[in-house]
Amino acid sequence: MTEAGRIALMIALPVAVFSVIASIIGARAASGRLAAAARSGILIIFGLYTLALALILIAFFTRDYSLTVVAEHASNDLPSAYTLSALYADKAGSMFFWGWLISLFSALLVFQTRGNNRRVMSYAVAILAFIEAFYIALVTFGVNVFAVHPSPPVDGFGLNPLLQNFGMLIHPPLLYLGFAGFAVVFAMVVAALIARSPGTGWTNLVRRWAVFAWCILGIGNLVGMWWSYNELGWGGYWAWDPVENAGLMPWLLGTAFLHSMAGRGQRNYLNTWSFCLIIFTFVFTLLSPFITHGGIESPLHGFYGSPFPPYILAAMIIVIIGSMMLLYVRRRDLKSEEKPASLISRESAFLLTNIILAVLVFVILIGTVLPRVVEALGGAKIALDRSFFDRTCGPIMLLLVFLMGVCPLFGWGKSIWKSAGRNIIFFFLAVIVATAAILISGIGNWYIAVVVLCGLPLYIISRELYRGAIARHRSTGKNCARAFLSIINSNRARYGGFLAHIGIVLITLGIIVSSFYSIERTVTLDIGESMGAGKYTLSYNELMYKQDSLKISAVADIQVSANDKSLGIMRPSYAYWFSRDDFFAEVAVRTTAVDDLFISLVWTGFDPEDKTATFRVLVNPLIVWIWIGGAFFLIGGAMAITWKEKQSSGVEG
Amino acid sequence: MKKRLLIGGAIILIAVVYLLYLSFGSSVSYYVTVSEFFDRSDELLDTNVRVAGNVADTSIEWNADDLELMFTITEGGKNMPVVYDGAQPSGFKAGSTVLVEGKYDSDGVFRASQLILKCPSKYESIDIE
Repeated sequence: MTEAGRIALMIALPVAVFSVIASIIGARAASGRLAAAARSGILIIFGLYTLALALILIAFFTRDYSLTVVAEHASNDLPSAYTLSALYADKAGSMFFWGWLISLFSALLVFQTRGNNRRVMSYAVAILAFIEAFYIALVTFGVNVFAVHPSPPVDGFGLNPLLQNFGMLIHPPLLYLGFAGFAVVFAMVVAALIARSPGTGWTNLVRRWAVFAWCILGIGNLVGMWWSYNELGWGGYWAWDPVENAGLMPWLLGTAFLHSMAGRGQRNYLNTWSFCLIIFTFVFTLLSPFITHGGIESPLHGFYGSPFPPYILAAMIIVIIGSMMLLYVRRRDLKSEEKPASLISRESAFLLTNIILAVLVFVILIGTVLPRVVEALGGAKIALDRSFFDRTCGPIMLLLVFLMGVCPLFGWGKSIWKSAGRNIIFFFLAVIVATAAILISGIGNWYIAVVVLCGLPLYIISRELYRGAIARHRSTGKNCARAFLSIINSNRARYGGFLAHIGIVLITLGIIVSSFYSIERTVTLDIGESMGAGKYTLSYNELMYKQDSLKISAVADIQVSANDKSLGIMRPSYAYWFSRDDFFAEVAVRTTAVDDLFISLVWTGFDPEDKTATFRVLVNPLIVWIWIGGAFFLIGGAMAITWKEKQSSGVEG
Repeated sequence: MKKRLLIGGAIILIAVVYLLYLSFGSSVSYYVTVSEFFDRSDELLDTNVRVAGNVADTSIEWNADDLELMFTITEGGKNMPVVYDGAQPSGFKAGSTVLVEGKYDSDGVFRASQLILKCPSKYESIDIE
């Protein structure tokens, strides 16, 4: 039956090719009928792809081990909630799912713009159909997701217990949603450049899709951090691992793209720079699975050790060369760039933000691929540890935090001295002086300076919100809370941006403080012994054994107290998984606004006579603010997505 | 205007190159497999290096009181005893592919400051050794 899925995709492939051709001819010959046929093609592809996905999902849920992808990643004892995780655990499965999301988004865009027969839409359809054709060919011929297992096993291999977690259930699809969203934005921007005059409605649609893709991708990365923190048991959330960088780089480029659009106000946003940014955002989304599944960090495998990198490389080269050629052909349309009126104006601040983000991506890219490139070119095999990233990216991120703080003070085209009040400049100078004093006097380390610096954007953005609300309250007589909501509602893109900035600053604060003020202790205890970690005292009371069909767990009972006050019992556990013949720790975390107490049971002998166990205990300050910052970020993004800019009024200051 | 932008760009570029230069020196280490290490052991002795290999069967010993993990990694027919200060990470077992970072000292033991397991977010499947 699953063979029907493969057949559905094989029918979808020529439909996609047809849509590409019909759309281009339709646009050039101004034939409404051909263009409409191409749009129907997009909907048909979505239908066929959905059928294929449904069949694969049925195979997963019924544990049909005649399919290789089911046999390799699912098993009879896998909880059905994590069946989807088994689909993304496979590289063919994840490409397949990602391709389906692109077909979904393409259909959504066609639906959103129904009745619009402008040429720009036809070109967007042609590009999306081309991308869909690539994914369909990839999952049917390249990494065949429908491959039949030569000798179907009775039970599947199962899923790594570390991936059986809520975070891992939603982390990959969130990333793929973001990636697929950027494919749509890429198609729309390229189409606008081909068609020359896209119109303001189009610009607004591009902006909303871009914010959507960017927001989802950002949240996807955060969920990945959350998973790493709560499941991997090492007490951290970010290791500058190539896999993590693969998700971060497209997000940073997408951030730069959004700011290059926003920074141009209502004027023609399509300049060479933003065009390049969206091209590379898209290229990096293509690069991402190449890094994640292609074994780029794997020491014992070669650079090209996996079957799909050649396809991906080919796709990346086609995208880059094609886009650059288009850029060359259309260079005259892109030339009309206006220079910022003043060096210290909002335009310049946006431009600087863009440059810094691009530099940041460049540095991360170097750190991620350079060691492997050196090796591939026959040089020495080298490795960069995470200190490289901390040392290079840390200062760059600080500059970004600083800019987030000062940016709201700038007016469009005016210098800061005219647009900001005098006292704000004093505040500003005070922060700079305090930061410099901390650095020079050596009272604190540079990270204390950062914490001070984070206060700048927090204060200035709150002040901006407060002043807006007060002004609205005075002019309309609404009470303060309603005035606040109405000022936010009047330009949700702008205030959504503020909220997202607050989110990013909170995340930065959480990361810096938790990185440098974390307390870590690893201690082996016997029943009745206790240990201290920071202000906490932990007493090891008891070890209990529990067994179910999957695993046998040793669950420790730890009495936690601080300042002679009991804070309750925490129960980290350590389990032996039968199917894996392996041990996995399940951490216990106690979160407060000030710090997290993180306990991981890292070893015990499973000996009823000797209940000695080794614990790894961390006190991580301010971690929770990373997740709270994520919530701000999500709300801000959602506000900006739902806001429809009126065609006439500009994005005001 | 153009001149100012150029100057600004040049300052940023110099700053970035300087940052990269500073960070590279102290963060970079050689990265070899066990057999490659022994081929070049003269130059790699007592330098910070990353070595990749598979954990040999029945070689894992854990000293819970001193928090020392001892095991042997093997690759290309060569074996290297490793002492790591810390508990084993989840999923560590005989046959795991690991990366140890540290120094090989003159008594023939690799003192690892870091023990990295192939990241589980890489979604391993059957074909991984």
